[in-house]
Amino acid sequence: MDTLQHLVSGFAAALSPAYLAYAFAGCTLGTLIGVLPGLGPAAGTAMLIPLTFKLDPTGAIIMLSAIYYGAMYGGTITSVLINVPGEAASVITCIDGHQMAKQGRGGTALGIAAIGSFVGGMAATIALVLVAPPLAQMALRFGPPEFFALMLFGLCLVSGLAGRSMLAALLMTVLGLLLAMIGIDPVRGAPRFALDIPDLYDGIGFIAVVMGLFGVSEILLAAEAPVRETVRSKLSSLLPGREEWRRSVGAIWRGTGIGFALGLIPGIGAIVPTFMAYIVEKRLSKTPERFGQGAIEGVAAPESANNAYANAAMIPFLTLGIPSSPTIAVLMGAFIINGITPGPFLFQERPDLVWTVIASFFTGNVILLALNLPLVGLWAKLLHLPFQYLCVGVLLFCVVGAYSLQQSVFDVWVMIAFGVIGFVFRKLELPLAPLVLGLILGPAIEKSLRISLEMSAGDYSIFLTRPLCLGMLIAAAAVLAGAALRLAPQSLREA
Amino acid sequence: MMRSGVRRALAVAAWCAAASGIALADDFPSRPVQLMVAFPPGGSTDVGARVVASIAEKLLGKPIVVLNKGGAGGQVGWTEMARQKPDGYYIGYINLPATNTVILDPERKAIFGVDAFVPIINQVLDPGVVWVRADSPHKSLKDLVDAAKKAPNTIRAATTGILSDDHLAILMLEEAAPGAIFRIVHLAGAVDQLKEVMGGHVDVAFDNVGSIAPRVRTGELRALAVTDHQRSKFVPEVPTMKELGYPTVISSSTRGIAAPKGTPQPVLKKLEEVLRKAMEDPEHVQKLESAGLAVKIMVGEEYARYYSETHAQAKKYTEWAKTRPHK
Repeated sequence: MDTLQHLVSGFAAALSPAYLAYAFAGCTLGTLIGVLPGLGPAAGTAMLIPLTFKLDPTGAIIMLSAIYYGAMYGGTITSVLINVPGEAASVITCIDGHQMAKQGRGGTALGIAAIGSFVGGMAATIALVLVAPPLAQMALRFGPPEFFALMLFGLCLVSGLAGRSMLAALLMTVLGLLLAMIGIDPVRGAPRFALDIPDLYDGIGFIAVVMGLFGVSEILLAAEAPVRETVRSKLSSLLPGREEWRRSVGAIWRGTGIGFALGLIPGIGAIVPTFMAYIVEKRLSKTPERFGQGAIEGVAAPESANNAYANAAMIPFLTLGIPSSPTIAVLMGAFIINGITPGPFLFQERPDLVWTVIASFFTGNVILLALNLPLVGLWAKLLHLPFQYLCVGVLLFCVVGAYSLQQSVFDVWVMIAFGVIGFVFRKLELPLAPLVLGLILGPAIEKSLRISLEMSAGDYSIFLTRPLCLGMLIAAAAVLAGAALRLAPQSLREA
Repeated sequence: MMRSGVRRALAVAAWCAAASGIALADDFPSRPVQLMVAFPPGGSTDVGARVVASIAEKLLGKPIVVLNKGGAGGQVGWTEMARQKPDGYYIGYINLPATNTVILDPERKAIFGVDAFVPIINQVLDPGVVWVRADSPHKSLKDLVDAAKKAPNTIRAATTGILSDDHLAILMLEEAAPGAIFRIVHLAGAVDQLKEVMGGHVDVAFDNVGSIAPRVRTGELRALAVTDHQRSKFVPEVPTMKELGYPTVISSSTRGIAAPKGTPQPVLKKLEEVLRKAMEDPEHVQKLESAGLAVKIMVGEEYARYYSETHAQAKKYTEWAKTRPHK
């Protein structure tokens, strides 16, 4: 009952003109980021953090969250129309979405993607409302050893699932963890690998790293790519026909379920749920041969999974303070800049903020549906912008964004350096997500490991005698073993 | 010839420097003053800084800009402050004893010493407090100390960071109650303490009154003692260490404003005067107290003495912390 009351007052606040305006601005910017190829949600959200410095914390969080899930919607448009995913999670949508566009059913593809995204986002948010408060209560049972095990599990998952080879992914995870070591030791206070550079005492700013790896490197790659052609597809018929509806409804719900379930596990990333949803549809279909030829389920399921995942990933983030993807980590950075620590006490201490933000997820999803269904043609027009101007604009925004994070030129250099590194890694087909997650989770993993050992006076058996902790460690080992034995379906590993 | 020329040049230079010093004091400030906070925005030092800056800038006639240079437990900000030109336009917060322990901890390799800063005025003194979960078997400080004596190195006691005032407080209590040994767990701050103690992963927390007073009043947790000479007005029912027979366990976290070494005396005087007026303003006191921060103004000799005494005490316990067998 308490939850309902909080939610109602959250809605009252989220529906105030100012917060609606922030949500609208966030959704628009997010869609824009999604539409512009190359600017994924992580880099995009990072870039736009400084825009929110003048807002009150609630407004800032509403806007940044809207940018985050808005970008998840927007990525579809480019996938369908030009066969280039606007963000990584829309990769799978290209397969059938672009085929549909070629057959003149582009409008329907975009329509079902918007509807699927809406259903996925809404359903996951409703589940968030129901699940998060009891989970926040339970989160107290998570002591440092359990946190350590959970984050280790997350890293094993991302190492096992991302990239073509587990070796490459593990390598990138370890590299991320090594980068995370730079700076002042979080427990004893000694500087490590800081080379006496004061800017490095606080470690490498991961927001600048994300902007470099995902933003700058993308532009470098794009500069090499040939000019693309847009399919001039008829966009008038947005709503699917009766037969298409029949095929889509089940796909949307299954996609939502998959996206939601995977969103609860840190480290999965946004790509895996979309692949899973696609594979499930293909397996369940009586006519699997239609997949790849413009099957509407092949658009509906992954798009629903994508957005259900995006909203479900807020649950471990808000209740445990664990960011499960690079974008959520950027969002966490924004929370901390605004003086708010996500975790079990957030619901208790700032119910006003949490519930307003959650209510804004509902309003935001409605805004996005409105933005995407009638206005999809407008977004599609953006793709006609000459790419060279777009590149310069995005690069400029990245530089300004990196600088304004903490008025430090050093961060700009970090971003540029990681832009080049990201470019090289992509050329070598080394996955970037494990690196970023290693960098982000590194300090927290180290801290929880060392605090656990302080709790036990140096006795490692603390990890084996706590059932919850032991269970997660076994799961982590199983994931790695499974990936090593190549038990995961081939298609999953191609993400 | 040469030599007297050099000497004359030096004399002229010295005169110029002196004259500019006087001129500096006379028209100080001619531009905005930066007030560095070595912690991120939104923390309690930041809150205090913004309140005092907004009042003091009206008295000073020039804006006072709060500059957050958080990181490394304050070391990043203090390193930066120690490097500034000592002209009064860059002043900043020192947080005793954190500033002292950063200087004293050899592992930190701080590039500044205790004399790098000239203390101007203290703003806040937040005494330490020892607290447990409401359903803890330790009903009083005596229960806790007895338990730590009976089974040494088993009671898990949380600090808010290595060599924080809370860490020193645990060492002080161990010293005052021979035989009592705690198993020290270094957590990152008050929120982490709350989470781990409430979750039963740690038995007792050493923190400051300002962080937990509201939860003591609601009965969510039980405060056993305040590490101060007198009771705190925010939790008046909690006894002091002195009352409980441990008069040497006195520990607190303070926030005050200092300038880089070499700042001209007249400039320091002017800043002290303005900041003192601002801190005595009822608006300042009321705003800080509503944030759970007890205002304690110390200036001149008194604050300088407090700074050096804190340093001497921190030195003793830092050395002990480094050699303590139970790490």
